[in-house]
Amino acid sequence: MKIIVLNCGSSSIKYQLFDMPSKEVLFKGIVEKIGLRGSFIKFQKDDGEEFKLEGDILDHEQGIEYLLGILTDKQYGCLENLNEIHAVGHRVVHGAEEFSGSVLIDEKVINALEHATELAPLHNPPNLKGIFAMQSLLPHVPQVGVFDTAFHQTMPEHTYLYGIPYVLYEKYKVRRYGFHGTSHKYVSARACEILGVDLNKQKIISCHLGNGASVTAIKDGKSYDTSMGMTPTEGLIMGTRTGDIDPGALLFIADKEKTSVSYTSTLINKFSGMLGVSGISSDMRNIEEAAAQGNHRAEVALKMFAYRVKKYIGSYAAALGGVDILIFTGGIGENDTETRKKVLSNMEYMGIEIDQEKISTRGKEMIISTPNSKVKVLIVPTDEELIIAQDTYSITSNN
Amino acid sequence: MNQLAQFGLGKAIKPKGSLQTVGIIGCGSVGQVIARLVAQFGMDVIFLDVSEERNQEIINEIQEQLDDVIAHWGITPSEKKVIMAHISGTTRFEDLKDCDVVIETISSRQKGTLLSLRQELFQKVEAVVSEDAIISSDLSTLIISDLARVLKHPERAIGVHFIEPIDKTNIVEVVKGRETNEASYEKVVRFARMLNKKAILINESPGNVSTRILIPLINEACEILMEGVASIADIDETMKETTGYIYGPFELADKIGLDKILKYMDNLYQEYGDRKYKASPIIKRLVRANYLGLQTKKGFYNYEVEGQPTSNTVSCTIIK
Repeated sequence: MKIIVLNCGSSSIKYQLFDMPSKEVLFKGIVEKIGLRGSFIKFQKDDGEEFKLEGDILDHEQGIEYLLGILTDKQYGCLENLNEIHAVGHRVVHGAEEFSGSVLIDEKVINALEHATELAPLHNPPNLKGIFAMQSLLPHVPQVGVFDTAFHQTMPEHTYLYGIPYVLYEKYKVRRYGFHGTSHKYVSARACEILGVDLNKQKIISCHLGNGASVTAIKDGKSYDTSMGMTPTEGLIMGTRTGDIDPGALLFIADKEKTSVSYTSTLINKFSGMLGVSGISSDMRNIEEAAAQGNHRAEVALKMFAYRVKKYIGSYAAALGGVDILIFTGGIGENDTETRKKVLSNMEYMGIEIDQEKISTRGKEMIISTPNSKVKVLIVPTDEELIIAQDTYSITSNN
Repeated sequence: MNQLAQFGLGKAIKPKGSLQTVGIIGCGSVGQVIARLVAQFGMDVIFLDVSEERNQEIINEIQEQLDDVIAHWGITPSEKKVIMAHISGTTRFEDLKDCDVVIETISSRQKGTLLSLRQELFQKVEAVVSEDAIISSDLSTLIISDLARVLKHPERAIGVHFIEPIDKTNIVEVVKGRETNEASYEKVVRFARMLNKKAILINESPGNVSTRILIPLINEACEILMEGVASIADIDETMKETTGYIYGPFELADKIGLDKILKYMDNLYQEYGDRKYKASPIIKRLVRANYLGLQTKKGFYNYEVEGQPTSNTVSCTIIK
């Protein structure tokens, strides 16, 4: 059974075609520069061969139309015809309070998503464009929405509310939603599979560390707290985002620099984080290189990043009343040994003992704690597309 | 080459009229802001001005404006690079041939309406662009139908008035002429939406809505000043506080340019004959003294220190 997974951004669409339930990726790639000059579709077939085709792609619908045309093409494609496509799974960034799990998309869901656009004005509209395009191109094929926020809908009131007048929550739904939910859900379940333990009886802290980064406290398989908030800016220090900052400091900066709301948003989301502190890059590898050459700001940025992760782990251990499993995932979490070492240093008091060889593992599943370690520490590469395909498969098979 | 065209499914999903390239004729202060706005939203911009030297100056000026936006945290240096990659200049009309929309923004500072000059530009544009390209003018007190009548296809002429401060205002006045057709109007509404602006439909009338209300406001502010009722800064502050305007009437007049304001006043007075549009003597005196506002660093305010208003240039007190 073939399932297409789409992740639609403002000018790009990442896609993968899965064969389910075998989980085999048959075709994957990206539609780039939609509506801009120089648009193209890149793809990789199951034998690893890569292609790039250029041409005008004026909107998401046209991009997806070409993609479907390529999928059924004799030279490049892997499908006989479009009837082979059983379902479409969409990554949707914000599901607000409406969605606590993946859902079959119908008119009611679309209305709710349009409503949630207010909370994610940059991300939800392109997600909706992808849904509309598929409705028009493959009207009889079921579509499933998988939300970044859904996994965190289990957070209790006392962890998701902000200390602001309650009326603002009631009026505008200003609260913490959390993101990377699909990733946290996948790696926590996968870690339990690897360890052979029951997910519903574990206290897990999962660290998704990439250019965007978040830590989630998972109790008995459910998200209990997470570091990102109403927007992805809260929590850890990220590539270009501030993470936690005193709102008073922001007011002070806005007053001194005379920044408007939109400029302040750019300041905290694009100029800050590792880039802002180091002044070098948002890319960990460049910062580590500079730090190795003695650049002070690079060194301090790296320390800040690891310290903030450590602080969240400590606070979530306290919130969960202990921790059984600690997971690293995301580009940095999976590949950056130095960051893991910094985060995990002096954690023996918590029952964490690290295998000094295994901690250097890159990009593959590995238990990096010693057999005697009370807390099991793992690297679990994330696979958000696969979880979207799995959810889509299970929902559409049941229907 | 379009390698992708062969993969279409024949579902007739062609978007109605693409909007990828915008031409700007005369790239002064208004044209430059429009150029960077259009480029910022991912479209290509080709501006046409008088010489290669001037075009290089324009590029430099846009770069400086973007550097200022970066210094105030509005965009990142890499976003600036992307914006600049979308902007190029030319002196040849032929280079506008691929434009989907062409906007004339030649200077409104000189005396008269420059109607014949604008008409000539419209004809030159029509000679090179495709049949469904929009030909437009950033007009405020002129009539689009007067410009459209020299075109072979006047239905594609439409007025687009960008309102100061162009990069902050959320609306744009879209002026339908007598012959403007629905397809052109819809295309411009879509263009406005791509710039994150809402199109306000205007049935052509000199001054549209914004200039028609603004001009008597500035005149009245001058009247109050001449009567010695309050100072420039206090009048501005009062209007900002009581109406929520971003700029007070004097600040705004300085920003638009007093020579331009004077011309709007003359045009509107000529059209409607109502005294409320008749240029205040203060504006006339300032223009004569070449106190034209921000562009000459002196207008109602003095901007000689770092471009910020530091002091007033006019004070009127009747009773001491």
